[in-house]
Amino acid sequence: MSKQSYDGTARYFDYFAGGDMRRWSPSQSTLFKNLKGKVLYIGIGTGQEIVNFPEGLNITAADLSFEMLKRSNQRVENYSGKINRCQMDAETTAFADNTFDTIVTVCVLCTVKQPILCLQELKRVLKPEGELVMFEHVLSKNPIYGLPLKMMSFITEYLQGTYLDRDTVANVERAGFKIHSHKNVYLDIVKALIARPT
Amino acid sequence: MNLKIADFFVGAFSGALVASAVSYISPTFMPMLLGGLIGMILVVPLKIALMPLFGAFEVMIPLAIIGMTVGMGAGMLSFTTVSSNIIIASGALTGLTVATIVYFSNKRYTAL
Repeated sequence: MSKQSYDGTARYFDYFAGGDMRRWSPSQSTLFKNLKGKVLYIGIGTGQEIVNFPEGLNITAADLSFEMLKRSNQRVENYSGKINRCQMDAETTAFADNTFDTIVTVCVLCTVKQPILCLQELKRVLKPEGELVMFEHVLSKNPIYGLPLKMMSFITEYLQGTYLDRDTVANVERAGFKIHSHKNVYLDIVKALIARPT
Repeated sequence: MNLKIADFFVGAFSGALVASAVSYISPTFMPMLLGGLIGMILVVPLKIALMPLFGAFEVMIPLAIIGMTVGMGAGMLSFTTVSSNIIIASGALTGLTVATIVYFSNKRYTAL
């Protein structure tokens, strides 16, 4: 999906993701409670997850879409910490090597064009002792749940630029991370993951 | 309303809706197969309508199963002399059953 398409998606993004946020907020708050140091928040979108972040963090937030960033204004202002936003592609960021202590992604690796390339880029900007904290959905290994995801993937790709058939856990490992913590949030589809560079 | 309770209502409602639609169309050629196909097509707009309210995956997964199973059952029943009310009730019951199975399946996965 192109930058222009994401700009178009921004108009109804909050509406479509409303149900997910109501469902996932408690799990996200638990996952994010240990975020520390200099944090990179990749794919801030309209900033729906900001309310689930602990207070007082120093966050650099990036998104490909200017419209999305614009719609995150209110949430960024309400956050009781520091959030610096920038418009950037997750696959080719402008940050120096080993910059961040923690990188957060929420439904980003299902959206970027080349997830492994994106993960390798995140590994580059993450400190060697840093953590990649991910709240992502993946293709279910259970065929009863996996088949509907494959069938719906082309619709969600059109509506939101989201692929439902990705094996993100394997991609994370392929990109040079080791999964440190792995928790299912809904079935084996929505996952809270923490990985560290190998 | 608690979203976990809402899942059961969504399941029963979707089952009833699919059964009602398939019973109304009442496919005469390969009723079971066509009923399943109609059910699968019908749940697509229903998923898009319900996802923003109840969560994408929590709607998508049960409805995909409900669309096919209820569609097949309703297609088969509509070919017989069973009244449409019974077809709709059986659709709602199947929807509720699917929602219950997914609920317990989710409990098992998230306990891991």
